[in-house]
Amino acid sequence: MPKVKIPRKSTSVDMTAMCDVSFLLLTFFILTSKFRPTEPVAIDVPNSRSQITVTDAIKISVDKDGKAYINYPSAAFREQVLVQMNKVYGTKYPYLANLSPKQLSNFKQVETFGCDARALPDLLNKKAEDVSKVTTGIPMDSLDNQLGDWVQAGRYADHAMHPDAKAKDVIRIAIKGDKQSDVKAIKQVIKTLTDKDIHTFNLITTLAGSSQSAQNQQ
Amino acid sequence: MAEIDTSGGGGGKHGGKVRAKKLSTRVDLTPLVDLAFLLISFFMLTTTLNKPKAMDLNMPKHMDDDKQDVKESRVINILLGKDDIVWYYETEQGMMKDMKQTTFAPDGIRAVILRKQKRVEKEHGDKEKTIVLIKTAEGAKYNDMVDILDEMDITQTKIYAIQDIVPIEQETIDNGGKVVAQ
Repeated sequence: MPKVKIPRKSTSVDMTAMCDVSFLLLTFFILTSKFRPTEPVAIDVPNSRSQITVTDAIKISVDKDGKAYINYPSAAFREQVLVQMNKVYGTKYPYLANLSPKQLSNFKQVETFGCDARALPDLLNKKAEDVSKVTTGIPMDSLDNQLGDWVQAGRYADHAMHPDAKAKDVIRIAIKGDKQSDVKAIKQVIKTLTDKDIHTFNLITTLAGSSQSAQNQQ
Repeated sequence: MAEIDTSGGGGGKHGGKVRAKKLSTRVDLTPLVDLAFLLISFFMLTTTLNKPKAMDLNMPKHMDDDKQDVKESRVINILLGKDDIVWYYETEQGMMKDMKQTTFAPDGIRAVILRKQKRVEKEHGDKEKTIVLIKTAEGAKYNDMVDILDEMDITQTKIYAIQDIVPIEQETIDNGGKVVAQ
């Protein structure tokens, strides 16, 4: 009596489904990942155990030399900021009034900038990437506090874009300071904000990593 | 001679058409899957999750004419100096006591604040009555400021304020903690 023969099955599996899944994942990751905004300087933020996340905020970066940069959430926002800047501070910054379409579109592309407003129109004639490379910092001394004006224009812009936002949805101001920057510079930024009647804001930090806790153990 | 021809494969001369061999339409997708997963792993490993955390900071509104009197025994002054050194002092009958020096290690400033809280709890009944005044001296780094704010969170100090340093405090630090004549 012959044995029951199990028919030999092919060992090759149909890969189509697997291929579908993997490419789906790939496209998902590529489409959802956002490029890190180009920053004029690398900022090494301090660690903390704070868990709050900030999504959309007007970010004020302070580098280790104490120079300030500003970053608005989106291109549409930046466009509106410029409108408000001319509306509210038109007399102070007349050179921002008549920007050419090219300068405007460049300004919309610049994610973070840190330069004197006087230098801005000339810079905008160049490429947007060049503007992000300028590291002169936005003046924020009491004589010529442009940083305060940019922040205020940002708040007006937010109000213009979301006129009936509730108090908790109003755009937040976040300070992103470098570990090594002098507290004086940070305090100057804080003073700029409190002068504009902003009393609540965020300090951007990273979650305390293993290196930090290891240091604490010693 | 003709037999050689017939044995030759493809071009059958048996009256029929030239028939190409039916090839399977299935392609082996394994390399494609390999590639896709390679790309996925590459992207996942190279992207850093860009989710910054933030801490809330509330600054008081200017209320110069609304000064409150608080018992000085509730207050501890913390001064951030250069090279991550933390100075602290208390006052007694309006006079500054000598400053002491400590660090950000767990048995440093945190222990100091916790001890202070215990004393405040004994004297005033509630450790949340502790008031910490944070001041930054010459050469203090932003990192120190965030660290001390973090300590406020860890020790659950509810009342604290970031203030400007007074000249006498700076002088005392420069003097190594010994109070200069007041």
